[in-house]
Amino acid sequence: MIAHRRARILRTVVLMVVASTLLLIWVLPLIWAFVVSLKSEREVLAYPPTVIFSPTTSNYADALFGDFSIVDSLLTSAIVSTATTVLTIVLAVPAAYAFARLRLPAKRSLGFYTMATQMVPPVGLVIPYFLILNRFGWLDTYHGMITVYLTFSLPFAIWLLVSYMEDVPWEMEEAAFLDKASRLQTLWHVVIPQVRGGIAVTVIFIFLNAWNEFLFAVQLGGNTVRPVTVAMYNFISVEQTLWAKLSAAALVAMLPVVIIGIAAQKQIVKGLSVGAVKGGGRR
Amino acid sequence: MSPQGRVSLRGIRKLFGKFVALDGIDLDIEPVEFFALLGPSGSGKTTTLRMIAGLDTPDEGTVTVDGVDVTFAPPGARDVAMVFQNYALYPHMTVRDNIAFPLKMAKVSAKSIDGLVHEAAAKVHIDDLLHRRPGQLSGGQQQRCALARAIVRKPKLFLLDEPLSNLDAQLRLETRVELKKLQRNLNVTAVYVTHDQEEAMTLADRMAVFFEGRIKQIGAPSEVFDRPNSVEVAAFIGSPPMNIVPAHLDGSTLTIEGHAVRLARSFDRVPGPVTVGIRPSHLRIDAGGIPTQLYLSENLGETRLLNLKLGEVLIKMRVTQSEPLADGETVPITFDSESIHLFDAETGLRLEAG
Repeated sequence: MIAHRRARILRTVVLMVVASTLLLIWVLPLIWAFVVSLKSEREVLAYPPTVIFSPTTSNYADALFGDFSIVDSLLTSAIVSTATTVLTIVLAVPAAYAFARLRLPAKRSLGFYTMATQMVPPVGLVIPYFLILNRFGWLDTYHGMITVYLTFSLPFAIWLLVSYMEDVPWEMEEAAFLDKASRLQTLWHVVIPQVRGGIAVTVIFIFLNAWNEFLFAVQLGGNTVRPVTVAMYNFISVEQTLWAKLSAAALVAMLPVVIIGIAAQKQIVKGLSVGAVKGGGRR
Repeated sequence: MSPQGRVSLRGIRKLFGKFVALDGIDLDIEPVEFFALLGPSGSGKTTTLRMIAGLDTPDEGTVTVDGVDVTFAPPGARDVAMVFQNYALYPHMTVRDNIAFPLKMAKVSAKSIDGLVHEAAAKVHIDDLLHRRPGQLSGGQQQRCALARAIVRKPKLFLLDEPLSNLDAQLRLETRVELKKLQRNLNVTAVYVTHDQEEAMTLADRMAVFFEGRIKQIGAPSEVFDRPNSVEVAAFIGSPPMNIVPAHLDGSTLTIEGHAVRLARSFDRVPGPVTVGIRPSHLRIDAGGIPTQLYLSENLGETRLLNLKLGEVLIKMRVTQSEPLADGETVPITFDSESIHLFDAETGLRLEAG
């Protein structure tokens, strides 16, 4: 009995230590960035680093409203990421349904090529995309950037959603067909509500990828479409790096991602807890 | 207006790859009939039901409902409702929304939906559970919810795919009675798939017995029970099923394990091997009978089931007496020659006297 309890306590302690270490590895840079964002540029470069200093919020004010304000870029990022996410979901949900349910010619090979696009290293695509967008006159435009993002997000979203859709029992759709529901009505009333969790997961992934994307944004964007990841580069120049302002900007840029993550997490849990058939699969 | 729900299947054939699921199904189901499709798993009964529902289409043959060819009509165009084996309730909707779904799809006005939902729910006694979700219901309640969803829009055909198989034994018996009552009250044609012959016997007005994609016999349960037309049907119907014993027939003399039995009927055929079918309840212990060895005695409460070795064959006999018998003991048995069924040893088809 006592040995059991001791083993359990030991297990908890070991788990806590491992979890804390992992958490620390993730959180430490964030804490460092937060501390740096409260220092003056001079203090940032002080060696050894100062522990006691008078904190200032001026870096946040500069990052948001100063010479290199990131507000416009935040807006650009929001437009690009939201549009990419919305378009991806609108297109991926019916496509995933088709892959999961319909009898299509060459479905298997289509599925493979959809996934194959994910295997190409992005850096290999930068120049081709640059040339294509240039030919279309779509460089530094919202529709150009969103289209390029869609080429990555759509295959990934379809692949993710297919597995969720396949888990919805086929009889439920058959029951709906018998009740005079069309394919679209069945998708809307029966399938989509049951894969809400999957859609929430997909939304997070797609939005985060689009929001954090840098490589294509820096090559295919410009003065009109300059997402926040690119805009932050303004704090780094040949002469100097404005670490404090950069940290403040980075933390501000992270905020929407964190908020969306927390909000969507509730949806995911809700999606997981919905399930009527006892012992039913993933919902 | 004549009652609706007459179903006719003609020459239905269905292949799944190279597997012949249905091979020449001809079937007529009359209006307001409770019709059971009975057979072991993989015999094609569910596939037949799905053809009637429109969830599958035949490779050959036609399906007509009330004289209209619906062979390739989509399920929604057939005015049929179905209760699935696992109920197929929508987990994200309340019981009320589940039952209301067919009405919404049929564009029934929101005003009348509420009344109809209540009416259907009351018929299956779940009107106090309307606010719950399927996940919060017991198996029996889920089944009732599925029934309510099926009856709410008053279809002309009511299809049931082993609806009782997920319920426990006690509940199954209760629901069986209610199901039959419900069908009578609604005055609707019901097609019922089951592998449980007892269910088919008690519920159905008529039934079709399926084996390997073919219908072996169609008739009223008593007809199929009393006059099975083949060894397969004979061995499938009855609980416990009929004993099947090899024998030799010469005119009116039947020889089982070297013992000659005189039959009341004479069979005009070349003397040779036949298969005899005897129900366990039609066997008696008789001092001058055919000797068998007791293999095992099972106590069923009111009756006792004796497993006897007749030569190499194990047969079952139902007795009411509880005289003590030891395993291995010799039990001489006899039967009324009127109560036995004779089948051709090769074709397995029923032999008639004359």
